[in-house]
Amino acid sequence: MRQTRQAPVLWRKLIAIPAVLAMLVAVATSAQAELMIRVTKGAGEAVPVAVVPFGQSGDLPAGDNVSTIIRNNLEMTGEFNPLAADRMLSLPTSVDDVFFRDWRMLGQRYLLVGDVSREGDRVRARYELFDVNGERRLLGESSSTTVSNIRSLAHHISDKVYEALTGEPGVFSTRLAYVTRDEQGGKPRYRLQVSDVDGRRASVRLESREPILSPAWSPDGRKLAYVSFESGKPQIFVHELAAGKRTAVASFPGLNSAPDWSPDGRSLLVTLSRSGNAEVYKLDVESRSLTRLTDHWGIDTEGAWHPDGEGFAFTSDRSGGPQIYIKDSENASPRRVTFGGRYNAGARFSPDGDYIYYVHQREGAFHIARMELETGNEQILTRTGMDESPSIAPNGRMLIYATRQGSDSVLTVISAGGGAAYTLPAARGDVREPAWSPILR
Amino acid sequence: MSPVILSLLLHGAIVVITLVSWHWITPMEEPPEPSISARLVSPETVQPPETTSPPPQPEPEPEPEPEQPDPVEEAQQREAEQQRIQQEREREEARQREQERQEQKRLEQEAAAAREREQKAREAEEAAREKARAEAEEQARQKAEEERKAREEAERKAEQERRAQEEAERRAEEERKRQEQQRREEEERKRQEAERQRQEQARREREQQLEQLAQEAEAARLAEERRREAAAAARARENQMRNEKSRYESLIRDALHRAWYPPSSAREGMSVILRLTLLPSGELQSVEVVEGSGNRAFDNSAISAARGINRYPLPDSRDTFDRYFRQFTIRFEPEV
Repeated sequence: MRQTRQAPVLWRKLIAIPAVLAMLVAVATSAQAELMIRVTKGAGEAVPVAVVPFGQSGDLPAGDNVSTIIRNNLEMTGEFNPLAADRMLSLPTSVDDVFFRDWRMLGQRYLLVGDVSREGDRVRARYELFDVNGERRLLGESSSTTVSNIRSLAHHISDKVYEALTGEPGVFSTRLAYVTRDEQGGKPRYRLQVSDVDGRRASVRLESREPILSPAWSPDGRKLAYVSFESGKPQIFVHELAAGKRTAVASFPGLNSAPDWSPDGRSLLVTLSRSGNAEVYKLDVESRSLTRLTDHWGIDTEGAWHPDGEGFAFTSDRSGGPQIYIKDSENASPRRVTFGGRYNAGARFSPDGDYIYYVHQREGAFHIARMELETGNEQILTRTGMDESPSIAPNGRMLIYATRQGSDSVLTVISAGGGAAYTLPAARGDVREPAWSPILR
Repeated sequence: MSPVILSLLLHGAIVVITLVSWHWITPMEEPPEPSISARLVSPETVQPPETTSPPPQPEPEPEPEPEQPDPVEEAQQREAEQQRIQQEREREEARQREQERQEQKRLEQEAAAAREREQKAREAEEAAREKARAEAEEQARQKAEEERKAREEAERKAEQERRAQEEAERRAEEERKRQEQQRREEEERKRQEAERQRQEQARREREQQLEQLAQEAEAARLAEERRREAAAAARARENQMRNEKSRYESLIRDALHRAWYPPSSAREGMSVILRLTLLPSGELQSVEVVEGSGNRAFDNSAISAARGINRYPLPDSRDTFDRYFRQFTIRFEPEV
């Protein structure tokens, strides 16, 4: 019985084999017959996009032109090359007025049109994004907000457009935290400020005559942790932005510095010298309990969580100079990952955990560098000379860092691959210690 | 000799003897003489009635004879008959002699008168007889001679006929042989002719075959030459098409390279395959996603790149266009 049942199966297999082979040959033949052109590189240029000035109706706040904000946002990324308005052949505000041929002639790849109108104390923006070559609409939306929040509306549209064109979430609605330093009456004044990513709408959240360092955003974007010397010694505070409530979470003897939020927002990596030597600890924000994560006679500092929340990177001079080490878990042995140059410090992970960004010293100058952890390939991203404090945008496409511009410190945004740079509008005095917020939900 | 032949010979001899005896013993019907005269008649003088001997007849075919009486008895009977006849004759003669004696006297007178005449007549008769005898002898001689001649003639004729027959036979034989020879020769000739014709036919067929083979070979050679020329032309065309393909593939790749703006979300390993259909003018007729990357922005960037080329660079050759560029696929896969 078993053989009689197996025989048809065997025959079916024998018959099926040539059929499958024939199909494979046919597929291979047909695949071979058709020409396939492989394109592995793009233009290497910013994508030409036309952001047509939005039509406006009603009483709108002066100076906050929505389409201008969008165009600047897209340009800041270094990924887009918006067309100047004076080169446009027409200024359509809806698809009915769009002549795609004109935009193709201008070499534009995408087209954004829309209008903004005042509706009582609110403004409404209606916009459409088109693929010029395909002559098809990629995006269309109508949004509204309060009149005072019109920049947020512009950033929201920017995020939507960016995501439609790149596949990555936009970060134009995120915030920046940074510290400015100026002098008043011969005495320094430090301000912890929070602004839009374009530097606008900055607001001071803390002002002190003592240094403020290392601001760090909580994962929900509602809190900032930072180091303040306001008591004469370094303390770590957690600052609830909405309520303005500040809490000192680390006031241990000696050094309290370099806070970094864990991905779950429950703990901070901090550097303490309470044992006499600078080590990295995990501080539970709620319980204030400490877990020592490094234990070495050298200085271990600037702990930064891996996005998975398991491992972390830190800076240690245990090999004689500051280098970056990684512990893949709290109990794992640290491994050194930087070997180029005598100074590599202040590491931050990219959101996907594939890269670290850090300060790298070369020939007496400090640059922002990027290393691909899997390969160890290191890439210098900046050409300025005194670069420090890199902070990565939550979509991983941009980073902000502090550098010197003349005698002042400024904040500069570059693409994560080291592309075009965009310097934020100058605030008063030196600007340093930037921190890019997560995407605010 | 066989008994039959001996019997035939014996009967023949008896018949001859009988016939001879018949003539010898049969009284001649003498025409009535005007006078009575007697004369001694010897058997030798008795001439058989003048007959012409028939020409020698061919030996009659032996026939079965009826039962013959005993020859001896027959001879005795014949002898008795002869004796009887002799006696009859003798009696007749005696009677005659009586008559003659009676009349002898009368006759003697007349005879004496007549004797002279008779003498004269005898003499004349003798002369005549002599003459006749001579004539007869001459005739006999002539006859014999004629017979001899006839015989000889017959023999000669027979010989001649025999010879003629032999000659005829010989000739017939010769004729037969000749005919046979002729027939054989004819047959041989025919055979040779047939053979010649066969060979000729075979030769012609061979020649035709050779001719056909030659023609076929020539045709094959020409076909092969044409095929080679066509193959060479096809190869040349193929090479040209490949060169054109490579050239325009490179031009299209460059154009796509310039037209493609991969989004920031593009990662190494991402891939989108598009199928393009072009018009001979180089315009894009259609583009479809054969295999997407899963990233809409990435796919859109590729589609936009494909649509971003106003006119694709294409070879002049319609064949090359139809073969390679009327429809082709593009794989966008960034190498970061």
